Amino acid sequence: MQTSVISFKARADAALADPTLKLAIDRTTGTAERKRAAALVDFPQFEAARERGKRIKDHVIEHLDHYLLEFERNAIASGAKVHWATSADEASRIVVDLCRQAKAKRVTRVKSMLGEEIGLPHALDAAGFERFETDLAEHIVQLAGDRPSHIVWPSMHRTREQVSVMFKKAHRVPHKDETIEAMVDSARRELRDKFLSADVSISGANFLIADTGATCTVTNEGNAELTTSPPRMHIVTAGIEKLVPSLPHAFALLRLLVRSATGADVTQYTTFHCGPKKPVDLDGPEEFHIVLVDNGRTKMLADAGLRDMLRCLRCGACMNHCVVFKQLGGHAYGGVYPGPMGAVLTPVFDGLKESRELSHACTLNGKCQEVCPVDIPLPTLMRGWRDRSWREGLEPSSMRFGMGIFTFVASRPWIYRLGATVAVRMMRLFGRGGWIRGMPGLGPWTAHRDFPVPSGRTFMARYASGEGRQK
Amino acid sequence: MTARDDILGRVRAALGRRSIDPASVASAAATLLADLPSTRPRLLASSLAEAFIARVTSPKVAATAERIESTAALPEAVARYLRARDLPKAIALQPLALLRSLDWSGFAVRDRVASDEVAAIGMARWGIAETGSLVFHSGADTAVLANFLPLHHIVLLRKADLLAYLEDYATLVAGQPMPRNVNLITGASGTTDIEGSLVLGAHGPRYMHVVLVDA
Amino acid sequence: MSNTLVSSPPASPRVALFVTCLVDAMRPSVGFAALKLLQDAGCRVEVPMQQTCCGQPAFNSGDTKDTAVLARRFIEQFEPYDYVVAPSGSCAGMTRAHYPEALADDPRWAERARKLGARTFELMSFLVDVMHYKPAGVKFPATATYHDSCSGLRELGVFDQPRALLGQVGGLTMKPLEGNDVCCGFGGTFCVKYPAISNAVVSEKAAAIERTGAQVLLGGDMGCLMNMAGKLHRNGSPVLVYHAAEVLAGMADAPSISARSSDKG
Repeated sequence: MQTSVISFKARADAALADPTLKLAIDRTTGTAERKRAAALVDFPQFEAARERGKRIKDHVIEHLDHYLLEFERNAIASGAKVHWATSADEASRIVVDLCRQAKAKRVTRVKSMLGEEIGLPHALDAAGFERFETDLAEHIVQLAGDRPSHIVWPSMHRTREQVSVMFKKAHRVPHKDETIEAMVDSARRELRDKFLSADVSISGANFLIADTGATCTVTNEGNAELTTSPPRMHIVTAGIEKLVPSLPHAFALLRLLVRSATGADVTQYTTFHCGPKKPVDLDGPEEFHIVLVDNGRTKMLADAGLRDMLRCLRCGACMNHCVVFKQLGGHAYGGVYPGPMGAVLTPVFDGLKESRELSHACTLNGKCQEVCPVDIPLPTLMRGWRDRSWREGLEPSSMRFGMGIFTFVASRPWIYRLGATVAVRMMRLFGRGGWIRGMPGLGPWTAHRDFPVPSGRTFMARYASGEGRQK
Repeated sequence: MTARDDILGRVRAALGRRSIDPASVASAAATLLADLPSTRPRLLASSLAEAFIARVTSPKVAATAERIESTAALPEAVARYLRARDLPKAIALQPLALLRSLDWSGFAVRDRVASDEVAAIGMARWGIAETGSLVFHSGADTAVLANFLPLHHIVLLRKADLLAYLEDYATLVAGQPMPRNVNLITGASGTTDIEGSLVLGAHGPRYMHVVLVDA
Repeated sequence: MSNTLVSSPPASPRVALFVTCLVDAMRPSVGFAALKLLQDAGCRVEVPMQQTCCGQPAFNSGDTKDTAVLARRFIEQFEPYDYVVAPSGSCAGMTRAHYPEALADDPRWAERARKLGARTFELMSFLVDVMHYKPAGVKFPATATYHDSCSGLRELGVFDQPRALLGQVGGLTMKPLEGNDVCCGFGGTFCVKYPAISNAVVSEKAAAIERTGAQVLLGGDMGCLMNMAGKLHRNGSPVLVYHAAEVLAGMADAPSISARSSDKG
């Protein structure tokens, strides 16, 4: 999925002009912020837990090869088949091939951002399988024909009225009342037989447990379990950074993940899958496949300026608290992942040239890092992309020129003082009643707000004249 | 070169890896779990049973609960539950010997959970007081789907099977082969996908009722 | 939290004032207020005359090389002093939190940056944490609300100190600002690179400020204050905007940021 310099501004403008979108964003992010804050009130140990979570993630990252091999060994011992994919295309090809091997017609999916990342929906459709998304939000996204706009609430950009219209068109027995309860009921009815009649199910993983070879999902609706037990084949796709040493390590991170994502202490369903159906089992897939996906993660591992991003738990807290995301929503970012984490990840997947705008469209205020449950230094990573962009010559030449001039001037105090005096005089010329409503060079500012006229002589000039000296 | 070789090679190169000592990695991993109480919330009460019930009936968990003195009282508790909701005495029963041995006369009992099952009775292996979660292991007497298909899920839990924290479950099962599925279930299913508004009963059960027996 | 609490204030420390670009050009009264406060707190204050810019615009644009040029200049000028104080969380944060990063390629300079950074403070946190200063006899009868600028808050831990100082001001009633720690949308070059997004953010901030019913908006960073004042004024709001230093130094009888500027000077 490619982002482009032109389309970010266009997308941002379109988002800013859409009051319905703003309403939808505020409802979701506002609730998420409040609930997270409330959850932390009941969990005064959160900061200590966060420190532990960060250390667990760093430990795994520093021993990633060890844990990959341990996981593979134990997964195979449990009867699972383990596949490796270096790229997004390779990963989705493996999944499609497995579905073909299973002679599948109908495929059900459980929400997975990694699945989006590797382009799985499109690959499955192109290969001719009948694909059913089973999370309510992904079902809505599928009906709408668009893409997720939030990593936890993929259909955040859709109002109930829009959902109602879609359901009435697509569901066999749609809702009669215009209540959200009735719509959810309609989806429950519509998707139930799909779960039970699918040939292959595909899900993601929140954790990969190295010492048992088990995968773990953390969900609310029940579709993750209803989807992955009936079919004869279950495929899990997961990024290699999802590894944890053992179950207690997963639980330590679970305490951070759910509170940060939705404000609950734990989701309704924390499910571990270990191997295919055993002889004693009453249900379960005959085949269980795990696809371990790199897709840029080893690149991040090798880069000191990006490695910390591998700690990401995909909780969404950063975007819920981001002043820019809260104005734009997720689609404006143009990539698979939106918000602060998306601004850091998208250049890895799509290349810096295509996505450099994302790290610039940020005030570097640091709220994202503050709420990140594993203390990822997002502003530092964001600025790191700006630095890289500059060194690769991707920044506009006007910017390079301007910065060169500014540095030249700022290195020579007498020119700087002269420049400041001239600028102040110019601004005072454009001022009316203490304010500038418009002035060449101040266009972007004065388009939306007034610019205060400078008070007169500069501080340095007045101080040089003797003002403010110590008595 | 296979993708596996490629990925492992890149990881090793990125980490400047020469060799790994599994013992020291394991030791470091264990150290990361030191002093767990410092990073866990307090239980809601001093007794496990009270703490569990308090949590499972709190607004944070979408479930109801009651306590009975012996497992023999379960069928009557189920009858009360169904009567209060104007539901017929028709249930699917988890194929557990303990459950099957109880007196279900007056009930229409199915041994498999249908996709439109109204009420299913199950038994959890453990309960976790910290979160109000029920733990199920898939196996000969536990179908995974049985915990997800019914509209009303009524679950028996023994007081003796209560654990304090999530890690206590991990300690119990450490070193043993894992079942195909472990389900930690906390309340009824739900979704906030439409306008952030909570609706219970997404695809899984809409109602969860825990019956805690003092055994 | 990077401010060190000292057990008792140093006697007559030599403090260099770093006025910052925006204070220098746009509102010198903030600089003079800072001078007065530091003098009243018992410091021997000097203003190094070769100072210009800390280099933050270059740093945030990704131009680390030019940042390093300005960082080295700054370090050389300010190193000789006991402390460096700036009436700005973002400029103090730049020097304290980011100079070592900008100079990472040269370990000797990075070390000099770290050493100087440990003695570099935002004004209000310096007055409270180091000098244990309490303003006396200052009056400013008004209701006011306070915006916590992001850099000061998150890079330097500036939160309690402005409130402690303002609490000593006679007649001043503080009203809490909903979302006091939410970014105002200034973000340095952000507000001119992405004006529409910045406007959307500052519009919400202005609405929150007006909802407090306060007469005055206070803060510790000129960029943020100019951004919010400019929006409030464009909205026709009567809210007056001052830098907290001006109120603390008893200099807030001068016209506010959002009123007719004085022609004096």
